[in-house]
Amino acid sequence: MTWRIVRLVVQYGLVLFAAAALNFALPRLAPGDVTDYLIPPEQAGAITAEQRERILARYGLDEPLPVQFREYLAGLVRGDLLISARYSRPVTDIVLERLPWTLLLVGTSTLLAVAVGTAAGFRSAWKRGRATDVSTMSTFMLIDSMPPFFVGLLLILVFSVHLGWFPIFGAVPTLPTEGVELVVEVARRLILPALSLTAAMLGTIYLVARPALVSELREDYVLMAQAKGLTKRQVRRHAERNALLPVTTMALINLGTVVGGATVIETVFSYPGLGRLLYESVLARDYPVLQGTFFVLAVTVLAANFVADLLYPLLDPRVRRPFASP
Amino acid sequence: MTTQETAPQTVEPRRPPRRERTTGGVLGSAGAAILVMLFAAAAAAPALTRYGPQERAGLPNRRPSAEHLLGTNDVGHDLFAQLVFGARVSLTIGLLAALFALAVGLTVALLAGYLGGTVDAALMRAVDLTLAFPFIPLVLVVAAFLGRGLFMTVFVIGAVIWAQPARVLRSQVLKVLKYEHVQAAQAMGASTLRILAVHILPRTAPLAAAQFVRSANVAIMIEASLSFLGLGDPQRISWGSMLFFANAHNAIVTEAWRWWIVPPGLALTATVVGFAFVGYSFEEWGDRRLTGGSGSVRRRRWAAEHAARGPAAPADPQVVLDIRDLHVHYDTPDGAVRAVDGISLTVGRGRLVGLVGESGCGKTTLAMALPGLIPHPGAIVGGTVVLDGHQLTAMRPGEVGRLRGRVVSLVPQSAMNALNPAYTVRRQIAEAAALTREPDDAAARADELIELVGLSAAKATAYPHELSGGMKQRVVIAMAIANEPALVVADEPLTGLDVLTQARIVRLLLELQERLDVAILLVSHDLPLVGQVVDDLLVMYAGRIVEDGPAKEVVADPRHPYTRQLLKARPQLRGADRDIAPIPGLPPDLRRPPTGCRFHPRCAEAFDDCQRVDPDEYEAKPGHCSACLLERP
Amino acid sequence: MIDTVVEFRHVTKKFRSRQGLLGGRVEATALRGVSLSVGEGEILALVGESGAGKSTAGRVALGLERPDDGQVLFEGSDLTTLGARQRRALRRRTHFILQDPYQSLHPAMTVGRLVTEPLAIADVPRRRRRERVEQALEEVRLTPAAEFLARYPHQLSGGQRQRVAFARALVGEPRLVVADEPVSMLDVSLQAGILELIERMRAGRAIIFVTHDLAVARHVADRIAVIYAGSLVELGNAEDVVDGPLHPYTGALLAAAEQLAAPPEDPGPFPPGGQPCQLYGRCDPGRPECVDAEPTLVETRRAHHCAWHVADGGGSDHEQGD
Repeated sequence: MTWRIVRLVVQYGLVLFAAAALNFALPRLAPGDVTDYLIPPEQAGAITAEQRERILARYGLDEPLPVQFREYLAGLVRGDLLISARYSRPVTDIVLERLPWTLLLVGTSTLLAVAVGTAAGFRSAWKRGRATDVSTMSTFMLIDSMPPFFVGLLLILVFSVHLGWFPIFGAVPTLPTEGVELVVEVARRLILPALSLTAAMLGTIYLVARPALVSELREDYVLMAQAKGLTKRQVRRHAERNALLPVTTMALINLGTVVGGATVIETVFSYPGLGRLLYESVLARDYPVLQGTFFVLAVTVLAANFVADLLYPLLDPRVRRPFASP
Repeated sequence: MTTQETAPQTVEPRRPPRRERTTGGVLGSAGAAILVMLFAAAAAAPALTRYGPQERAGLPNRRPSAEHLLGTNDVGHDLFAQLVFGARVSLTIGLLAALFALAVGLTVALLAGYLGGTVDAALMRAVDLTLAFPFIPLVLVVAAFLGRGLFMTVFVIGAVIWAQPARVLRSQVLKVLKYEHVQAAQAMGASTLRILAVHILPRTAPLAAAQFVRSANVAIMIEASLSFLGLGDPQRISWGSMLFFANAHNAIVTEAWRWWIVPPGLALTATVVGFAFVGYSFEEWGDRRLTGGSGSVRRRRWAAEHAARGPAAPADPQVVLDIRDLHVHYDTPDGAVRAVDGISLTVGRGRLVGLVGESGCGKTTLAMALPGLIPHPGAIVGGTVVLDGHQLTAMRPGEVGRLRGRVVSLVPQSAMNALNPAYTVRRQIAEAAALTREPDDAAARADELIELVGLSAAKATAYPHELSGGMKQRVVIAMAIANEPALVVADEPLTGLDVLTQARIVRLLLELQERLDVAILLVSHDLPLVGQVVDDLLVMYAGRIVEDGPAKEVVADPRHPYTRQLLKARPQLRGADRDIAPIPGLPPDLRRPPTGCRFHPRCAEAFDDCQRVDPDEYEAKPGHCSACLLERP
Repeated sequence: MIDTVVEFRHVTKKFRSRQGLLGGRVEATALRGVSLSVGEGEILALVGESGAGKSTAGRVALGLERPDDGQVLFEGSDLTTLGARQRRALRRRTHFILQDPYQSLHPAMTVGRLVTEPLAIADVPRRRRRERVEQALEEVRLTPAAEFLARYPHQLSGGQRQRVAFARALVGEPRLVVADEPVSMLDVSLQAGILELIERMRAGRAIIFVTHDLAVARHVADRIAVIYAGSLVELGNAEDVVDGPLHPYTGALLAAAEQLAAPPEDPGPFPPGGQPCQLYGRCDPGRPECVDAEPTLVETRRAHHCAWHVADGGGSDHEQGD
């Protein structure tokens, strides 16, 4: 068992390293001078050669590449992600402010999507071929096909503009609020973005859950369970237990996509998460923030995947205890 | 009416089967229709509108009119023109990126799957790496640094989405490599090229098509998201960028949303739906198992419509199973398959009865009829079945369910897979025992049973994958006897097991029969093996019982030509090595059985009457019946 | 003197695999020092339980698996010293018939294409192909051949499909044919027909017939080789092995087939390699020598308590152990 953990750590470590390397390489590969990416764009034109030299020295960019890379890695470990060109604050601080909101949004949506998608998918599988199955499947496929930002816009249209139930800006009210009222206000601002993001994922989960259960229902152990005299519900539970495996795997693979979707949704709703930060920094050409945010996003996704991989054996005994000699 | 020819081998004339309507078929056609319309509109853009997408066509912010079908935007561009020309951009980028992704993905999949080893490991690491990064942020970052233009966008998107098809297709390649026809080709020394082109690619094609379509969807979504964020190609208007501008100009709060936001959004949705539907039909094409129950689901016709024929005879306590004139038919599009066509038999309490016949004779159907588990679209259409005093044929499906596991239990075919891989042995056995006991007692009973079937107690906490085939079979038997049923129906319990394991399982069944006084109906195709073991032997052919008597007698003095020919068709282990003779012809089509005696087309002893007269069961000797005209008194 | 077509000399083959995601490596020995030979016109049956290595032996004979130790000679050339390309060329003089007639034929190829495939691979000139294909079909009694050419596998019965597989084996005129359980998935009434085909095929070639069914082996084969846990435990003329088995394992197989006696308790999957006599613990007359070393196949001497029998060319002398 420990071997498995070690292998996972090494695997993820490698990916992490790759992410860091990508971050390091990109600005150096991009057209133009590296210093362009470190200063506020407005000043790009007005800077003198001498000033560039000083910036290079300050960031250690006049050193040979391997040295730079070493410093860069050391900086990452320290948690030093450079200074934002726009805000003149450490990137780390900015990112940490925004991270919780993204986690809240992504977490809520994922839970909702998995719960609803799995339940609906399983129900469809059990009643496959009937009219209710076909209509459910078409509906989910339809929702899955709508671009998440389109869903977001429509939700805003109906619930905010016309019905006025939910505000469409920010995560917390501008006026200071406390306690229960704060929770309520946060929830009000969370609902629409969460629903949009859920809609983006729902179809995928459903479209994995349904065939997974259909497949399990054809297995011999289901026939055996029936032959044993178990009730329909008990039989169903047998099959669903195993059908959860591919669903979980899918949910995990999908985490990356969800975070991507969050980026867009946060922008639509002006939700102050990392996604929106990424977007803002692209527009503002605040490259340190851009790199830092991307790195943190990647790390978050990797961490979630790592935890999930770690917990997978709980679901599948074949992985937990592969063929041991009796 | 077709008669079987007696030539050694014939090809059966076949009517083309009626094609069933499947979910995939319906969706696929709908999707294709949508896509055709969209592509046509994109291609014909200049014909549909006389304005360019970025041409100042009129006054700004106009509502829809005859002149401008969707009105104009804040600069005066015609929105309808933007819609149809935007289609070109969105669709082109989507398709090109998907093509790129599929080309890379398929190549990687073939290389990794076929070459294996280090190549595979290295490629899969690259796949994992790419999949680990969130798509959109990665595209954003890369695009931010490398700029945006049509080809750069296609490249960036393709470089991000190739990994998913690669992973999925690699699994498929690995699966196909195990197919026997691929192995056969390799064994013949076929070149790699031939194996890939003729054997592997065709079997991977449906999935590759499905992946292409999926990638196209992802690509279109990514492009739309990019453009919506204002990061698309500034030279070209796509649906996403239309939405960007709409949002930037607060079309949501004005009434302009109707013609500025909804049309491009719907266009995107329609495209994705179209691809998704087509993709689903490709997936179904590759894996027919997804269809399942397409078309109307028929309810099984039960005794409510086909009430028991005649009054039920008073139950004889010494008889555990009493079947009279049973008919079980399958209702298929090509006609009714008469799998069980007038069978009567009895099984005494505590007796071991063998039912032998070849594939397609209906024995499995008969076995499944007893616990009421005939698969769709089959149903009992006549006759009575009395199980330990319960009249099965007069019960509703729910009532039959209560007999399962308690009065009659089934050891199904390929019991090897009959265990849920996720639960321990004890749990699964206890679950069966819990039907007639409290949960605590059930667990104790499970342990008892484990010992009874000859497994060591340590196995109780094992998972199915940790057991050998023979052990799994014992577990299934334990589940079957958990509630002391009156009858155990074992459907081919010995298939797939080694000779030694078969012998052990047979020993076990005999032991259990003695100790528990349970009757066992052993269904098999192996006449010599079963004949050595059971008390009574029933031989089945084409839905009918052709011979019935004490096992030793039937084997020593077979009274039906089929039995005789069957015994001669197999080599003997002992004694002089004699010639074995195959039985000519093929088993009959149960939709149109032959006239007269069903076996006559293949019978070596047939004479004139055999073609006209359908034999009854005649008593050839006391207690030994045969359905052959030769035995007619 | 019979021409030897294929010969094994102390062939050992192991399989390494990862156990699930744990990462630990497991080694399973499929063949352990196996030596045997098959001559032209001869049918040798490989008998044993599943997992015993008989299918592996068949594959090694065809050059599809490379032995870890020992040599495999085909028509005198040592397969282990040949390069991949040369081995591939040799494969065209051999043929592999697989067990499952429902899987071994490409579902999208017609019978005609299927039977032509071996000729296409061997680069036989096109104009000669049709004739040979029809001839092969006639030999396997799929007549009229012309009618079968356009059929697809799913339109044929199991028995007919297996005949197509045999037609493929005949059309290329291979010198070695390995048939892996060719009748086990067919109904009894059809098996006889296929067994008859095997009989008729023997002229000019060597046939290795893998099966778990002793009765079939006795009927069809000239000699029987019994394999247990990768080792060859008994080898002799078919009748001799069946009528008077020497090795306890062979005895157990026969007894089981006849339901004469209860076989020893199932000890579970085979123990991983590296032990003295593999049967130790499963065999009744266990003796102290059994723990020390593995018994070897001996012709005239006896070793330990397991006597091994090899018939020489003419006679059928058994050498008894104690």
